[in-house]
Order: sequence, then structure tokens, then C-alpha cells
Amino acid sequence: MSTPSTGAAGTNPARPSAGAEPAEASAPRSKLGEYIFAGLALALGIFVFVGAFAIRLPTSGTQVGPRVFPFMVGTILVISAAMVIIDIARGKLGDLEEGEDVDTHAKTDWITLAKIVAFVVAFIALLEIIGWPFAAAILFGGVAWSLGAKRWWVALLVGLALGFVVYIVFGGLLGLSLPPGPLLTWLDPLLQTLRG
Amino acid sequence: MDNILSLLEGFATALQPQYLIFGFIGVLVGTAVGVLPGIGPAMTVALLLPLTYTLDPTAALITFAGIYYGGMYGGSTTSILLNTPGESASIVTALEGNKMAKLGRGAAALATAAIGSFVAGTIATLGLTMLAPVIAAWAVNLAPADYVALMVVAFITVGALLGSSVWRGLTSLGIGLFLGLVGTEILSGQQRYTFGLLPLADGIDVVLVAVGLFAVGETLYVASRMRHGPVALVPVTRGWRSWMTKDDWRRSWKPWLRGTAIGFPIGTIPAGGADVATFLSYASEKKLSKHKDQFGRGAIEGVAGPEAANNAAAAGVLVPLLTLGLPTTATAAIILSAFQSYGIQPGPQLFTNQPALVWALIASLYIGNVMLLILNLPLVGIWVKLLQIPRPYLYAGILTFAVLGAYAVNFAVADIIILLCVGVLGYFLRRYGYPIAPLVIGLILGPMAEAQLRRALQLSQGDLTALFLSPFAAVCYIALILIIALGLWLRRRQSRLERTLAAAAAADTSLSAAVNQAWDPGSRPTDVKTSDIRVLPPAEQPSKRKNPKK
Repeated sequence: MSTPSTGAAGTNPARPSAGAEPAEASAPRSKLGEYIFAGLALALGIFVFVGAFAIRLPTSGTQVGPRVFPFMVGTILVISAAMVIIDIARGKLGDLEEGEDVDTHAKTDWITLAKIVAFVVAFIALLEIIGWPFAAAILFGGVAWSLGAKRWWVALLVGLALGFVVYIVFGGLLGLSLPPGPLLTWLDPLLQTLRG
Repeated sequence: MDNILSLLEGFATALQPQYLIFGFIGVLVGTAVGVLPGIGPAMTVALLLPLTYTLDPTAALITFAGIYYGGMYGGSTTSILLNTPGESASIVTALEGNKMAKLGRGAAALATAAIGSFVAGTIATLGLTMLAPVIAAWAVNLAPADYVALMVVAFITVGALLGSSVWRGLTSLGIGLFLGLVGTEILSGQQRYTFGLLPLADGIDVVLVAVGLFAVGETLYVASRMRHGPVALVPVTRGWRSWMTKDDWRRSWKPWLRGTAIGFPIGTIPAGGADVATFLSYASEKKLSKHKDQFGRGAIEGVAGPEAANNAAAAGVLVPLLTLGLPTTATAAIILSAFQSYGIQPGPQLFTNQPALVWALIASLYIGNVMLLILNLPLVGIWVKLLQIPRPYLYAGILTFAVLGAYAVNFAVADIIILLCVGVLGYFLRRYGYPIAPLVIGLILGPMAEAQLRRALQLSQGDLTALFLSPFAAVCYIALILIIALGLWLRRRQSRLERTLAAAAAADTSLSAAVNQAWDPGSRPTDVKTSDIRVLPPAEQPSKRKNPKK
């Protein structure tokens, strides 16, 4: 509250008016993605509502069948998604979620996103073939590299160490049976003895 | 008298060495995740759920309670020392505390936050001890229609009052309710919305949704627009002898108590959670302070009050959770599902059916608070180190533990696929400004609401008016209208305050930046409207530098 300008802002701040102006001035964004997401929510609502008709009603005449709640959920989704679409059309876009590590002015980095999703998919494919420690190493190293870790081999080694520590601590002490993979089948009897 | 005796028995349980260790692990992990950006208590509890199935329920729940309280303490450290703006819930602490740290008074800010959290946490836990058994005893008589009313209140307040837009919150709630519908319907045993897929037949596990939304969604969101460059930390001067001067104590103790008085009641009613309490405390401290000029430039009251309110609200949230089985925040919802995974249903019967467990849990909250005070005051240096973890490694680690937690639910790869899908959903929710908490609450409370609704209508033979005619339910719906009106009003004031604060911060760099923060485009005093320009007579048009008068 030091400068006169902020004093004025404190006593006479403009209310966020009914719409009409774009909420984000500094980072212009296309409305298309917003429309698509809200549209999908609307479609989900219609799907829930229509899908409720496919639910069989039990023959014994209970008053409230298994359809009632789905109808309500569908209605909530349709109405609120439709209102969001109206909001967007009026120019009231959603606020970007804020966070310590998030630069709200940055452009969306689709390449990094694709890399991370690809590494998770690779993890899903590889987990039961090469075992938890190695799959975890690839996931950790890959994601750290995608996010800009300077030396990829350090990331991979850290990932490998983390994979083994988790495997031994959770697999050995807490009894979670993580897949060992063909290279580490000899480790399991050791863990068995460790658990006692 | 009974309660005091039960509490003492609870202490006897919670003070056993193995429970002390679990409590310690809980507050340690909780503080760590509170300090680290990108992960919070909700996600951590969800992640640990499948990993703790082998523990006995008391140990697991004491750990989770420690994480819940610890997360509250840890958050303040981050917002005081980290030089980047965090989420809006901590913006007031961030502003005053961060300014104090930059003035070289970081130690005092950390100390007043930690001691304030301790004072508020202890008083609020005392409130919980007194209030919870009374409410539980009274709530035993609630009928299904009353529960429906309570859940409607929780849905609408959480959906409408969290986040920036009412309709976005309700959309998020609807998606959560839908995810809760997926699976086998209890009474008729048929599958709903499973598309015939086997992994969906048992429903979508809460762990997958929570970890997917919070861990995977957050990692993807941060990855999409990461703040690059080194982590900017405000250095804290050493010399812990001078944590707080006598003057700091004098200026802090009243805000602590006022923050507690504001935070606890707001936590107990479903009215938007700790954000509102923090903001109300800040506003009242600013109004009552003798040092009004310091607000916005590092006033210690602006750290002490909101931090106390924050922690008191966290304890208040446990009152409806334990006595009614009604979660009002995302973390409370996850803790509720933790109870359920051990076959325990929080609610009025909890105090009669599981007295040993619930009193040990409450006793552990007192113990956890003491542990947290000890952990946070002298050991702050360690937490600062944690803040300096390079971000690529931090988020890679979060993702690795996320897939571990998902896999551990059923040891099925299909669960990791669901996790990834939910994570992508979480990314888009964040990107387009939909709050996450309503979704989590809808998912967990939805099936319970359906069961109560059907039971209520069964009792009334399908008469819908019965849902509104019971006195308690009627009071609930009237209160709902009041809470929403009050909540929307508070939120308008809150966003106004946040704008003013952001403007004050921006004023350090330039005047126009402050103006841009304080007003929406179009309503700024510096704006020139095209209609104003048109009414000018043509003769004056060449002189472009003149401002339009009318």
C-alpha cells in the first residue's frame, strides 16, 4: 500500500464485470481448446443421461431404481457444461492454475508433454518384460531428460538406484510383489530371507 | 469427563513406541511434501494408501493424520522462502512472509508461522476433542434424508465455491460423480458405464483417480509450462537466537488467537475450506493492526494470522469428517476413503464402534503438533535444502512413485493405463481452470449419496417432498443458500484483495503493471474507449497526444 496508485486500487477496484472482455490480457489464448473441453463435458453429460436408459430396472417394483442417480449426474453435467460454454462465448476464460514451478506466461510445450506421455507408455509396455527396477530407471531417466536434466546418464543412474531402492524397500520389507524381470529373479530369494 | 478419560486412553495408545514412530514418519513426510512444490497431502495420502495395506489401521491413520498436519506446516516454508508466486491460497503468506524474508527477517517469518501453526493446531484440536463427541452423539439420530441434505450441501459448496468459476466447479463435480458411477451397481448387481471392460467392473479405484489427478496431472501441467532457470530462494540469515524479538511476540500472539477463532469454525462448515479462512484472517489483521502501513511490505501480523487460520481450519475439517463422514476438502475425502479401505465408516457410530482408534487418532494430533514445532523451528535448513532439488529430478521422482502407487493397487498394468488417462484429464482440468477438489469429492461421496438417496426415498415410498420436510434437512437447505450467498460475496472480496496485493507487488516494477493487475481490461482508468474518440469533432483529430475529454 505504498504508492498512490495501489491506494486507489484498494479503495476503488473494478469488479470483474459480467464478461464481455477477455480475462487474460497478458497471455492471449485461443478459445478453441476451451470449447473442445467444455463440449466434451457436455457430451459426457448427454452420454450419462442417455446411457441411463440402458440400465436394467429390477423387476421387483422398488421405487428408486439404479437409473435415478445417473439421470441427476447427467443433468448436472449438461447444465454446468452448457453454462461454461456460454461463459467462454462471453469471453470469460478459465484461469490457469498457478503453482510455484509454473510460468503462466509460457506457451504450452507440447513436445515435452508428448515425450513424458511416451515414456509412461513405454513403462507400461516394458514393466512386466524387463522388471520394475529397469523400467523405473527408463521412466525416471526419460522424464528427467524430457524436463531438461543436463546429463541424461546421471538421470538414468539416479533412476536405476531409485528403482532398486524401491524394489528392495517396498518389495522386501513391505511385501509388495513388484515384477523382478528376467535379470533379477535371483534377487527374490534374498528378499525372502530379508523379510524373515 | 468421559471424553477426557477416552482421550487419556488415546494418549496411552498413541504414545506407544511403534505409533510414535508412525506419527513421526507421517509428520516428516507431510512436512516434506508440504515444502516441495507440485505435491500435496491429498496426493501423498492417496499414494501411500496401497503401500500401507499391510499396516494395522491405527498405525496407517496416525501416519495419514501426520501427513495432513505436516503438509500445512510445510507449505508456509515454501511460500516464505521461494521467490516465485505459488497458488492463490497461500498468496497472503507469500506476500508478507516473502517480503519479510527479503528484508532479512525470514527467520522471524518462519518462526511466527511455525509457532502460530502450533498454537492454532493445538487449540483447534482441543476444539475437535470437545465438539466431535457431542456432534456424533447428536448425529446418531439423523435419517437418510438428512444425510442426503448434508451431502447436497457439501457438493454444492465445494463445487460452487472452490476455484474461479461456479460452473467450472460444478462441471468438475459432475465428472467426479460420473467416475463414481462407473462400476457394478450394488443392489441389482449390474454394471454401469463400464463399456464391458473388465478392469472397470469394480469401479475406478480412488487411488488411481487421486494419484492420476494430483501427481500425473500436475507433472504434465508443470512440464507444459515449466519455469526454467535456477530455483530462486531467499537466503535466511543464521543465528537462531534472534528468531523472534520481544516486539515480534507482542505483535504475533493476538493474530494467532484471532486466526484460530476464524479458522476453526470455517473449517467445520463446508464453506470452501482453508482459503476463505486465510483470507478473512488477513483482512481482519489488516483492519486491526497498528502498523497498517507495513501491510504489503512485510507485516508480521499478515503471516501470523493467516497461518494460524490455515491450521485451525485444517483441524476443523476433521469435525464433519469424523462425526458425519462428510469430507469438505480433497485431502479429507482421501482420508475418508482410507478409513473405508480398512472397512471403517466414519460417521456418528465411529465414536461408539471404534473408540480406541478414533481417540488414538485425536491424541496423535496433539503429539504431531509438538513434533512439527520441533521439526520446523530448528530444522528449517533441511527443508530449505529440499526446496533446491532440481525440478527435472523432482517431477521424474513424483511420476515414478505415482506409477508405483497405481501398480500396487491391484498389481495390474491396466491400472497404470487408467492412471495415465486420469492424468491427462487432470492436465486439461488445470489448463482450462477447472478445480480438482470437487471431482475428488464427487467421486468419493457420490456413491454414498446415491445409497442414502435411495434409502431415503425407499422409506418415504418415493415421496420426493420427504427429502426437504425433515426439520434438519430443511435447515440444511436454508443454510446452503446462506452459505452460497456469503461464499460468493467473500470470494468477490477475496479476488479484489488478491488483485490489490498483486498490484502492490507489481507497483515495485512499474505503475502501468500495477494498473493492469488491479483492473480488468476495459475498465481501467487509463483506458481510452473507441466510442470516446468518435465523438470528438473532426477538427481536433490531428492532435493525437490530447486525451479525449468526454
